[in-house]
Amino acid sequence: MADLITINVDGKDVQVPPKIQLIEALRTYAKVETPAFCYHPDLSVAGNCRVCLVEFAGPRGFAFGIACHMQTAPGLTVRTQISSDKVKWARRGVMESLLVNHPLDCPICDKAGECTLQENYMSQGRHESRLPDEAGKQYKGGADFRFIDAKGTDRGGKKIDLGPTILLDQERCIVCSRCVRFMDEVAKSSQLGIAGRGDHAYITTFPGKPLTHGYDLNVTDICPVGALTGKHFRFQQRVWTLKSVESIDPSDAFGANLTIEYNNGRVWRLMPRRNSDVNKSWIANSTRLLYQKLAVDRLTDARIAGTDVDLTDGVKAAQSALAAAKKIALVASGHGTIEDNAALLALKDSLGDKAEVFGGSWLPVGSADGIALSGDPVANRAGVKLLGIADNLDQLAERAGEFDAVLVFNHDLWAADAAKAAKLDRIPVRIVLASWIDATVAKATIAVGIRAWAEARGAMVNSKDRVQLMQAGPVVPNPALEPAWRVLACLAGAAWANETDAFKAAGARAPRLAGLTYRTIGPMGAVLPQPALAAAGA
Amino acid sequence: MMYGFPQPKQWKGKDLPRVLSRLFDVKDGHTLAVARQHGAYSTLSKVLFDRAPFQIINEVMDSGLRGRGGAGFPTGMKWSFVPRGGGKPVYLVINADEGEPGTFKDRMCMMRDPHLLIEGMINSGYALGVRTAYIYVRGEMLPQIQALNHAIKEAYDAGFLGENIAGSRYSLDIYVHRGAGAYICGEETGLINSLEGFKGQPRLKPPFPAISGAFSAPTVVNNVETIMAVPWILTHGAKAYRQWGTDKSPGSKLFSISGDIAKPGVYEVPLAMPYMEFFELCGGLKGDLLGCIPGGSSAPVLTAEETAKTTMDYESLAAAKSMLGSGAVTPFNTTRDPVLLLQTIARFYAHESCGQCTPCREGTGYVDRVIDSLVDGHGRTGDTDLIKSLADQYEPMTTICAFGPGAAWPVQSFVTKFKSHFEAYIQRNPKHAEARDLVAVRPGAFW
Repeated sequence: MADLITINVDGKDVQVPPKIQLIEALRTYAKVETPAFCYHPDLSVAGNCRVCLVEFAGPRGFAFGIACHMQTAPGLTVRTQISSDKVKWARRGVMESLLVNHPLDCPICDKAGECTLQENYMSQGRHESRLPDEAGKQYKGGADFRFIDAKGTDRGGKKIDLGPTILLDQERCIVCSRCVRFMDEVAKSSQLGIAGRGDHAYITTFPGKPLTHGYDLNVTDICPVGALTGKHFRFQQRVWTLKSVESIDPSDAFGANLTIEYNNGRVWRLMPRRNSDVNKSWIANSTRLLYQKLAVDRLTDARIAGTDVDLTDGVKAAQSALAAAKKIALVASGHGTIEDNAALLALKDSLGDKAEVFGGSWLPVGSADGIALSGDPVANRAGVKLLGIADNLDQLAERAGEFDAVLVFNHDLWAADAAKAAKLDRIPVRIVLASWIDATVAKATIAVGIRAWAEARGAMVNSKDRVQLMQAGPVVPNPALEPAWRVLACLAGAAWANETDAFKAAGARAPRLAGLTYRTIGPMGAVLPQPALAAAGA
Repeated sequence: MMYGFPQPKQWKGKDLPRVLSRLFDVKDGHTLAVARQHGAYSTLSKVLFDRAPFQIINEVMDSGLRGRGGAGFPTGMKWSFVPRGGGKPVYLVINADEGEPGTFKDRMCMMRDPHLLIEGMINSGYALGVRTAYIYVRGEMLPQIQALNHAIKEAYDAGFLGENIAGSRYSLDIYVHRGAGAYICGEETGLINSLEGFKGQPRLKPPFPAISGAFSAPTVVNNVETIMAVPWILTHGAKAYRQWGTDKSPGSKLFSISGDIAKPGVYEVPLAMPYMEFFELCGGLKGDLLGCIPGGSSAPVLTAEETAKTTMDYESLAAAKSMLGSGAVTPFNTTRDPVLLLQTIARFYAHESCGQCTPCREGTGYVDRVIDSLVDGHGRTGDTDLIKSLADQYEPMTTICAFGPGAAWPVQSFVTKFKSHFEAYIQRNPKHAEARDLVAVRPGAFW
């Protein structure tokens, strides 16, 4: 890090890095709580909400400036709300202005509980308004604000349909322009804009055009009020009832950080989790909506030849089938965690020479979009490789005749490439561990249900060699379901008590993982040590 | 006769300055042929090209010329901020987006003497090392745009624009850019945004335009009238320019006067002329003076007594807690209602606020509606204080640009200085003493 410089905040000297935004310096280094609506660390500075006003010493005495736009420089002297009544007064004025035309319909607003405006209003606003509605409040949700745009689309008013995913409640908007900047700068598709001027300015799309983009739901997160809401979560849950655990995107090797928010045994939404080294504050819509599949078409028990049986019976059947088989193909899965694949390797060891491990995927790999998707749908491809498993799935298809049993877990081979997978049909015993009833389960002679990604703890390695953790939420549809690693360890006869044991077993196979524990990885993940360094350490 | 012309050549035995208004009452003065007879483009000679650019800047700095758009920033100093040899082109942008209510001097200049503007641009462009210059004209000023385009064509044809101007090594191209008629595009960074094709909203500063303005290059934005004074200063010298006005406000200025005056129009007079003398020069006031808006609608209003004590220069008006602004003088007499005047002004600013900064965006609209309800007979006791305290919140540069203060000053000054008029309106409401019903807005009340 560059040398620290000294700035003066409220009469106290504070050491801060040079040329960072003052608001970050205040929040992180001076520990002065500074409100902001338009400022977002991953967007450009617009400086229009004015609530982060501070006083700074200029050539003509102290003057107002905004902390989000000012940068730290040696000798900068600022006064915040702590030492300056003028700052306090100005911020109250800004809060009052923001609330003039805001409806305060918090009881029916989805954002209530996580609304920046509400938080600041409660902490520093005027609780009783001296500006009564009759003296000039504008309710932009009303009929006066409805209009037909140039392309004949009905606009304005309340719950404006912006596109397939988002609704806009214009009257709640405080025109912070975060959503506009997100679409311009991150999504690189300028679909939103502010039309009009003054207090009659409003957020809109181009006439006749919807807001539609693979990342557009991020605007609902960065909206500091409840103006933009996602249709998928509108009126579903009050946010303060939700509990959350930290996880990552299981559908892409980018490993975007997210939180799983659940309540009453069900996941209600996935929210991006800020990690400036990985996905900044963004996740793709496809990732965000993954939770919708968690409760649909689940394999909650076991099946033998298409008949539902108890889970334990399914595992027993798999055990005896593996014992009876002469040559077994074990298929690793990049959709599973490191722990799952380590358990598969333990199973291989216990079966001895009659088992052979195959890795890889038949899913097509796309290109990275530069935001939060790498294009590789195999999230843990690097982790599987790290365990020394080769990318040789095609060989399995070619040599299918050699085997009389195949075990697949968390890997929908028949959906990925039906033509290649059809060659596996000739293997008589097909054991499948799966979370969902998919094409592969349909082909299974023995299918055993396992926990899905949001229900089991584990680690994955993303495409940039970063190992990251997934935590489990208490949302399992059938409490008897076990994670894949536990079923596999059971088949292998390994005495692993929990995920930590499985992760340690993985560390024994992959030197680059050896020095790591769940604690050292932490919620933000850790970059894997270079191979040479890891070897030296070991 | 229009706009008060022909205007007096002399006042109290002294010649009035004709720095800017030389061709204002000359027939066909906007054509190159007539303008040249009166000395147009005479600076494109050794007057300009024998001097180094820094000498030109020093001359302008010595003359004490201050920006005539409203803020009164010293022009030479503004030019000296422009970094030289930074590898980026320097742009000169002429602010002809004259939008301050009451102001109509620039349109007069462009209509009557466009060649003086072009000559001034060549002078300034040479001093600043400018290759490309823009004139940002307010969209509604169609005749002025036509006059400019005609004059620019004439200048190109005569070799005064384009490559190697008048045989020198200096080249300059001028483009006329038509705005869409927004008040805020007269703010220099809003103007630059609009020029670049973006929405006309002021930018965050720093960086200032002199460092990074149009197309991220160093840019000087100057008012039409400012640039038009340059050829005279270069011809006659800085010292001659200081024969008028005061030490800090030297020179002459165009004042556009309207309102309760016998001969409204554009007049060029020396700075520091007393307002009452100026009214006399313009044919005298109609009726008894109640107050005067001294520098465009955003300048704090002066009462009759204050007007009588004030002279027309930057310092005197600053001392009276007002400003010279764009030089739009609007005296009004006792038959006028200051409440309705403020209503109009507040409506204007509520309509023209660009909508970026919260205090200005919401404040101007709210103030407008409170005044409306007061005029409609729904005023309550304490409304004047309410209006004033709301305006206070967007006054002290809590916003990106100076629109906030400019919108607040008339509101603050009208309700303070003509409080009795506002109270009279409040008295018309029979229920004025009752408090408005305060709506319970505490969200906690719901849960």
